[in-house]
Amino acid sequence: MTDRSDAALISQVLNGNAEAYGALVARYRERYARFAVHMLGEREDAEEALQDAFVRAYRSLAQCADPARFDAWLFRILANRCRTAGARRARRARTFIRDEAALGEASAEHPAERREWREEIHRALERLEPDQREAFLLKHVEDLSYEEMSALTGAGISALKMRVKRACERLRVLLGEVQHA
Amino acid sequence: MHDEQDQLISQVADELRAPVALDPAFDARVMAAVRRAAPGRWRLALRWWTEPRPLRVSPLVGLACAAALAGVVVIGTRAVQPRSAPGTVPVPAAALVASTDAGEVVQFVLVAPQAATVALVGDFNDWDPGRTPLRVTAGGGVWSVNLPLRPGPHQYAFVVDGKEWRPDPAAPRAVTDDFGAPNSVIIVGGKST
Repeated sequence: MTDRSDAALISQVLNGNAEAYGALVARYRERYARFAVHMLGEREDAEEALQDAFVRAYRSLAQCADPARFDAWLFRILANRCRTAGARRARRARTFIRDEAALGEASAEHPAERREWREEIHRALERLEPDQREAFLLKHVEDLSYEEMSALTGAGISALKMRVKRACERLRVLLGEVQHA
Repeated sequence: MHDEQDQLISQVADELRAPVALDPAFDARVMAAVRRAAPGRWRLALRWWTEPRPLRVSPLVGLACAAALAGVVVIGTRAVQPRSAPGTVPVPAAALVASTDAGEVVQFVLVAPQAATVALVGDFNDWDPGRTPLRVTAGGGVWSVNLPLRPGPHQYAFVVDGKEWRPDPAAPRAVTDDFGAPNSVIIVGGKST
């Protein structure tokens, strides 16, 4: 039976089989696309950041100290790309517009009320500070431990707990206003 | 009230866990970029020759090899004196050599007597170890390359023997890159930081 573990695929890539990298792209694109879309708000920006992360990871694959933990290493690269892209966009002073196309398929399955609720959630998420949004997504959506979050972001555990706490408080206020409107 | 608030956060998290749709051509785009970045045959061949690989020998042969290596190290250490240690030895950091239309020509130097290859990677060459190899001076283990750079800050590092990333030991400040590796910083038009 062919070994399709991350480590085995990385070994193949490092031995010259670039096509083996396609299996890693297929394995992680959806999970990390979700994070990138929620961080950046637009599918186009998210896909650009994700593609950039995959290509940078490919170029530096020999630096991946623990191939069995390729997913965490890739996630770290992506989180950095999202931060860079977010900062660049802030400098361009673009309006943060949520991408309907990225959310359309899922929301089309739900009734109108649910779609409106989803839109309110995304609107509230966009109003968080980027570091709070990142911490909230990592903790509550990606289900990472604070230790994993610290390794990924480089921030201390206390700071991350504070960011999550403030993000939750802000979301409660913003979405509470909607619920009680 | 608190339970109600926690339920709200759970609802938010559940909604955000829903999958998002990607462009169906996403994989093809990524793989096209990967193929463009893939190393050519000669680089793969170079990697084969420069990467360390496990070698199993009998204890007797191992002992003989160790004795031979000890002799080489003694001779080698004498040869590189008065440098302080084998491996990487700090020399003056990346230095301005000349100014051209393409930018300022900067000389990068690394003393690595035991290295087989040294390459320069940085934000100016897409961190590609195949694009800017350093040349070694005859017998001295001093590797250098001259490179025109645009004015402004640049991050860089050396790649020794195809896989070991080292910051410039002569540059006093390093930053951590996306991959957790320390990089050095040079400001062209100013001084190395």
